[in-house]
Amino acid sequence: MSEIILSLDGVSKTFSGKPAVRDLSFTVRRGEITGFLGPNGAGKSTSLRMALGILTPDAGEVSLFGGRPRANALERVGFLPEERGIYRKMKVIDVIIFFARLKGVTPVDARRRGLAMLEEFGLADVADSKVKTLSKGMAQKIQIISTLIHDPEFIILDEPFSGLDPVNQKALEQIVRARAEAGATILFSTHVMEHAERLCDQIVLVAKGRKVFDGNVEAALAMIPRRVILETVSEQDLAQTFAPLGEVVQEAGAADGARRWLIDLGPGIDAQDVLKACVDGNIRLLRFEPARAHLHDAFVHLVETSGQFSNETLAGEAV
Amino acid sequence: MRAIYLIARREYLSYVATWGFWLSLASMPMFMALGFGLPILIESSQPTRYYALIDESGGALEAAIESQRSASRDARAEATREATAELLGDNPAIAAAIADAPEPAEKYIRVYPDVTDIETLRPYLLGEQTVETSDGPQPLFAAIYLRQAAGGAIDVEYWSTNLTDGELRSEIRRTLREYMQLNRLLESGVSPELVAAAGELTPTVRELNPERSAEAAEVTTAERLPIIVAIAVAFGLWIVIFSVVNMLLTAMIEEKGNKVLEMMLASSRHHEILTGKLLGVALVSTTLLLVWGGLAATVGLGLQQMPFAAELPLGEIMAAVLDPALVFPAIGYFIIGYLMYGAIFLAIGSLCETLQDAQTLMSPMMLIMMVPLFLVMVAADAPDSPIIVIASWVPLWTPFIMLARLPQDPALFDIIGTTVVMVATAAAVIWGAGVMFRMGALNQANQDTVKGWFRLGGKSKPG
Repeated sequence: MSEIILSLDGVSKTFSGKPAVRDLSFTVRRGEITGFLGPNGAGKSTSLRMALGILTPDAGEVSLFGGRPRANALERVGFLPEERGIYRKMKVIDVIIFFARLKGVTPVDARRRGLAMLEEFGLADVADSKVKTLSKGMAQKIQIISTLIHDPEFIILDEPFSGLDPVNQKALEQIVRARAEAGATILFSTHVMEHAERLCDQIVLVAKGRKVFDGNVEAALAMIPRRVILETVSEQDLAQTFAPLGEVVQEAGAADGARRWLIDLGPGIDAQDVLKACVDGNIRLLRFEPARAHLHDAFVHLVETSGQFSNETLAGEAV
Repeated sequence: MRAIYLIARREYLSYVATWGFWLSLASMPMFMALGFGLPILIESSQPTRYYALIDESGGALEAAIESQRSASRDARAEATREATAELLGDNPAIAAAIADAPEPAEKYIRVYPDVTDIETLRPYLLGEQTVETSDGPQPLFAAIYLRQAAGGAIDVEYWSTNLTDGELRSEIRRTLREYMQLNRLLESGVSPELVAAAGELTPTVRELNPERSAEAAEVTTAERLPIIVAIAVAFGLWIVIFSVVNMLLTAMIEEKGNKVLEMMLASSRHHEILTGKLLGVALVSTTLLLVWGGLAATVGLGLQQMPFAAELPLGEIMAAVLDPALVFPAIGYFIIGYLMYGAIFLAIGSLCETLQDAQTLMSPMMLIMMVPLFLVMVAADAPDSPIIVIASWVPLWTPFIMLARLPQDPALFDIIGTTVVMVATAAAVIWGAGVMFRMGALNQANQDTVKGWFRLGGKSKPG
């Protein structure tokens, strides 16, 4: 079992009587990429602020590198907040050096590393430009460089993909992977499940301040019924035929003369069992598609079963 | 400590790169130059006024006015000579320079138009026609008709389109009043010599300090210097604090708007950011004070090299400025005053996204800051006035008012008491500002939260 870098144990936080985080517990282990997922307002940013000691929890314990999150621990952490910005009137390289020095890097090293990272990010030619002359995407890259300049062993990214175009989102995913391969521990929050699904070893799902899941992606996906989509030309009502395999729903939208069925497979049933039932029942198939479950579906399912949200809320928030 | 140093350094360098800093740097010498130069400039830029004087009494009143105006000119010249001698001492070079100096230009010059009735002069007064003068054709500023009725009563008709410049009218009224009073005395049998002698009578006043022995009791002008210097220093501190806390506020709002604060919080703690910012701006203030002080010292030393200023009490002024009894309290009051106002303005800035947001919270603070500016002037004349004594106990005003009171030996209880209250308040203000800064930086509070505190019966709105 690898070392625990961060642990939250029964942490709660309330603002003006409104609970933002409720009895939240999870751990982040060295070398893992952990996704901290939830819709807007789920308490992700508040939890991350408590993890860093920026906010003090009303109840519960936070442990960072085995101790309370003190100022000296921040030197080992690179934190990219959701509300991020940089000094617009400063030169790019000076901003990077400033944040590097705050993290304990010497001026000479800060300049050297800053120039190298600007080169790596394709921004070497703007090193001496004022930040205010940069595009939004370039400025966000400078923020990321400022977060990573001191080569932190623990990287916390709060909604890092928001505001980035698809090209830069992909580039950031590559950076996250590269840092993880280099040995860094990464915790990032997002409400976009696709990023988490592609990147994470572990995920923590929160809704309305409460944890609804904590585990790996496969385990999360296993929490939701697998689904098979069938289209047949049979006039026969197949609901009874497939009923032993799981929950069957007929869905509109099939081609003329065809009927579409959605089968949410029951425990211990897999797509092969459905196919076998079709063959045994001599059902003429136009389409047979074992649907791949997505984290989004898992999230919706988990939250629904925890009774915290209505479907409408989730459809609007968890993209 | 490293974070505080780095933040302070960044703040300092970012401020000195702004126009606001250089404007502040130039403001003090600029205001001083304006303070000395503006009255002279205004005086010298006044246009010469041309007036017609028509004496319908036979010439006696006209003669009296001319005589009085001539005497006034001589008296003004004599007064200038005396004032210069008092200020610069008996300097033969200066006396010679003053004697050789050309007569100052007259503000009002009498002209003698060919016509005298008001209907004919009206176009000249309205600027439709002009009279010939040494400056070329000019409109008539005023036409003054003098009439003497039976029994010695004098009527003056003063015709002019200018309703604001009443100096000439007042001068003529004063002259004729003295003329009438003199005539009445002469008619009553008082000899002209006695009237003249009575006019010369004036008491000799010696100002003495009862704290000293009779021989050394006389109070000199130099003794008033500490009071004047203390007031000047109080004003200087006010200007410095006012300038830099505004810089602090606008920079804070800009930082909040740019979302930099949370990036900073990822690297340093709230108190480090707050302290670093206050320290950085304190260094800006120190730079301003050093530059202004250096400039004043340079000008003073330069003046001392000038022959005409050889006897200026520059030594006494410097001694008053550098008097430890003033310097140390001034440093203390500056630090505490700056910390109080700086922390408050930083907290306000952290609650606001824009300057418009800040204006509601700023207005009461600006009013509070303006009060000592007026009270310091009052404190110069009446340091023991109940209003001044009470006002000096208001912690936000203590640094300025007590500084102005110090050279006039306020009660020890006042000095210690106001200092204790001020320091305690400063500690409370800094603590409170820290809490507000922390909430504001993370958007847990905004200007509405503060407004909610002051809403009668209302609840504060969460940020």
